[in-house]
Amino acid sequence: MPAQRARLDRAQIDHIAKLAALSLSDAEAHALASELDAILRHVEQLDSLDTTDVPPTTDLLAGSAGAGPGLPAGSGWREDRVLPGVSHDDALAAAPRSSLGGFAVPTFVDANATAPAAAPKRHA
Amino acid sequence: MIEELPIAALAARVRAGDITATQVAERVIARVAALDPRLHAFLETSPDALLAQARAVDDKRAQGEPLGALAGVPVALKDALCTRGRVTTAGSKILGGYRPPYDATVVARLAAADALLPGKTNMDEFAMGSSTEHSAFGPTRNPWDEARAPGGSSGGSAVAVAARMTPASLGSDTGGSIRQPAAFTGVVGVKPTYGRVSRYGLIAFASSLDQIGPFATDVRGAARVLEVIAGHDPRDATSLAAPTAAYESACDAPVRGLRIGVPDEYFAEGLDPEVEASVRAAIGALEKDGCTIKRIRLPHTSYAVATYYVIATAEASSNLARFDGVRYGLRIEKTHDLRQMYGDTRDAGFGAEVKRRILLGTFVLSAGYYDAYYLKAQKVRTLIRRDFDAAFAEVDAIACPTAPTCAFKLGDKLTDPLSMYLSDIYTLPASLAGIPALSVPAARGASGLPIGLQLLAPSLEESRLFALAAAVERHVGIAAPAMSALA
Repeated sequence: MPAQRARLDRAQIDHIAKLAALSLSDAEAHALASELDAILRHVEQLDSLDTTDVPPTTDLLAGSAGAGPGLPAGSGWREDRVLPGVSHDDALAAAPRSSLGGFAVPTFVDANATAPAAAPKRHA
Repeated sequence: MIEELPIAALAARVRAGDITATQVAERVIARVAALDPRLHAFLETSPDALLAQARAVDDKRAQGEPLGALAGVPVALKDALCTRGRVTTAGSKILGGYRPPYDATVVARLAAADALLPGKTNMDEFAMGSSTEHSAFGPTRNPWDEARAPGGSSGGSAVAVAARMTPASLGSDTGGSIRQPAAFTGVVGVKPTYGRVSRYGLIAFASSLDQIGPFATDVRGAARVLEVIAGHDPRDATSLAAPTAAYESACDAPVRGLRIGVPDEYFAEGLDPEVEASVRAAIGALEKDGCTIKRIRLPHTSYAVATYYVIATAEASSNLARFDGVRYGLRIEKTHDLRQMYGDTRDAGFGAEVKRRILLGTFVLSAGYYDAYYLKAQKVRTLIRRDFDAAFAEVDAIACPTAPTCAFKLGDKLTDPLSMYLSDIYTLPASLAGIPALSVPAARGASGLPIGLQLLAPSLEESRLFALAAAVERHVGIAAPAMSALA
């Protein structure tokens, strides 16, 4: 049986939120702690199953396990070839901010900037 | 009336020139204008683009070129499907106004078959939900009772078809998001085998589960749409190389002699007695057609909800990491700190349910908890798949309810996430196993609300589902909700 079970408290939520790059308000973090704790308690029913010799499902397309007859072996890897894709301009077109033909972000690209640019700019 | 024609008949009339695609488009525009302000199935419609598509189909016919299998058939698209130059939001503020630079493969295939694409339909944000109430742009209403949810997450696509605004639509199904809204709104909904339909251009939720499939007013129409969109696509590494079958002609195949399994676990506590009676009556109709009915066991069914919510949230937390305000969508840039920009953008852009699932998924993958949650769930997933292996050694297909109840009221489950998750109990196991599943209308309950029969088959045996569903349809028939006052 897996032994390591957590009670999700506020400190845990803050830690996970940081890992997930989510800034949460106090009210949000408080509500999420109790909601997620209730869901995890439901998940704990999986502990009642002995899975010692059961392999994890890692590829639904591989073999026929669980999939009934008729499923071919996994589709495998395609050849690594360069094919036409989205153009440079198209890729940049939806960016909130771009600069010098790339995606612009704070600090790294705009080390000397004084204010975030309000309007999107495109450089072909 | 155009909206009363089955899909195959509509395409035949357009190909014959009895009806022009432009007439079809004008009818769609009129019905959407009359009905959608109340139902809110669509997030975006473009009458000008629709009329231009229709004119192109009509011109093609005028020049003597052969028309495709969906000539002039309007197909609504779930807003998780990328459409070149057309706003695609996945129901989220973080993608508000986003115009993708390419079409999803399924969109390109529909267009190549001369379908009309009137618009993008409402959905739970990033397909996370079972009611379409988690859309950032407001809920969709069920045309059978506007105080009720249409189900979800593909609620808008289900309602577009149920209200006969379009005869077909596409949705995506991760844990039941096509089948459950199909049952709640009285239409046909198909989740194909994992890998059967290309997901290139589908905004990802949970990559080991997501699959695109059709909604339609009739079984044959659903089969025809699947025939158009299914098949290998080199742009999706998970797309199966196996040839597709003739799904439409399977609708005429005899069902006599097929062995149908009825799993005890799907008729247990929590199943509404009226739903049970209707589903058993539909199974009885198959028996009259010569099917053999057999009681079976799928012993790990009750673990599906817990298993699913670990695996799906883990995958979602990874897939949704791409929404960071850098390349597309919303950006909140208050300071010169990159981490702050990520956090503020994601806090402002994601709704409560999406945050809940990202956090749960991040937690189950985090150091110290991976083995206890994620790995454990992947092992239980194997047990659930083995349940189906054992069952399909004895039977050709499985019949059961699609959902434990009829459509619930808007707001009823919104404050209790776990109760919303538990309503997916009958659709999750097939998603976890990767097998094909279909919901077909079985009856209308005393309240007048539709009830769905779910059919499951071994991988790549969609044809068997269509044969059985067509048999049920011949017994039960499919009605449209009475909306004459609006039409």
